[in-house]
Amino acid sequence: MSAGTPTLGRTNASFALAAAVSILVNTVLACAKDASKPLKDFMASICGHDWTTQGMFVVILFVLLGLIFSKTSLSGKIAGTRLVSLLVGSTVLSGVALFGWYVLY
Amino acid sequence: MNIASSDIVLLAHASFGVLGTLTALWVFVEALNANPENANRIRTAAVIAAVFMVMAWILGGDWYLHFYPADKALILKGPWPFAHNLVMETKEHLFFLTLTLSLYLPIAAREKLFASAAARRMVLCVAMLIVLSGLGMEGFGAIVSHGAKVALLSNAAKGANE
Repeated sequence: MSAGTPTLGRTNASFALAAAVSILVNTVLACAKDASKPLKDFMASICGHDWTTQGMFVVILFVLLGLIFSKTSLSGKIAGTRLVSLLVGSTVLSGVALFGWYVLY
Repeated sequence: MNIASSDIVLLAHASFGVLGTLTALWVFVEALNANPENANRIRTAAVIAAVFMVMAWILGGDWYLHFYPADKALILKGPWPFAHNLVMETKEHLFFLTLTLSLYLPIAAREKLFASAAARRMVLCVAMLIVLSGLGMEGFGAIVSHGAKVALLSNAAKGANE
């Protein structure tokens, strides 16, 4: 690879994509469980507390998606710089969305 | 001196969070000058950052589930209820962003950063996001702690006036 290589390795790209998706899912799940008591109760019934279930779910989702993406060619089709933007964008968007949700909720 | 186990858990949680943040900053600085000589150091630091953040998660989770409900009740009755309603609620869910990024950092750092501009940029961005969100977590924790303090002071002031 040259210093200007625009792509990431397959595993790296796959887990970058998995991290971006997991971060977005975490935000949606946080808002959804606050809006839906049945969902919150269901999550609490799995690990004893909805927050514990959410944390376990996000970590497992990240690992599973990373492994699944690394078996496919999906992440390889996305340029490295675009994956960087995707991950940074999803993180910033999720952070702002979570803060905004709790300001309004 | 009476230091309860809940105090140790809480302080250890915050300490591991700070250590994870500082280690991510270490990764960022090393990645700025990525070369074959510091490649292994970057990978090691990235793993250490992930381990510290997982420790912060486990200890913070233990404290949040077993000890925080008493603080929460106090904060909600005090003059700063937003310390829970806004700050703690945001913090406890925002942390999973930091955790996910911290778990990804060692994977991103496995590449030869000195040979790949994209991989180097990814590590720089992820490490900086961990640093910024980690600092945010520390600040949020301070606000939650102050929310409990002003509630206690308010109760003490009421008691003194009666």
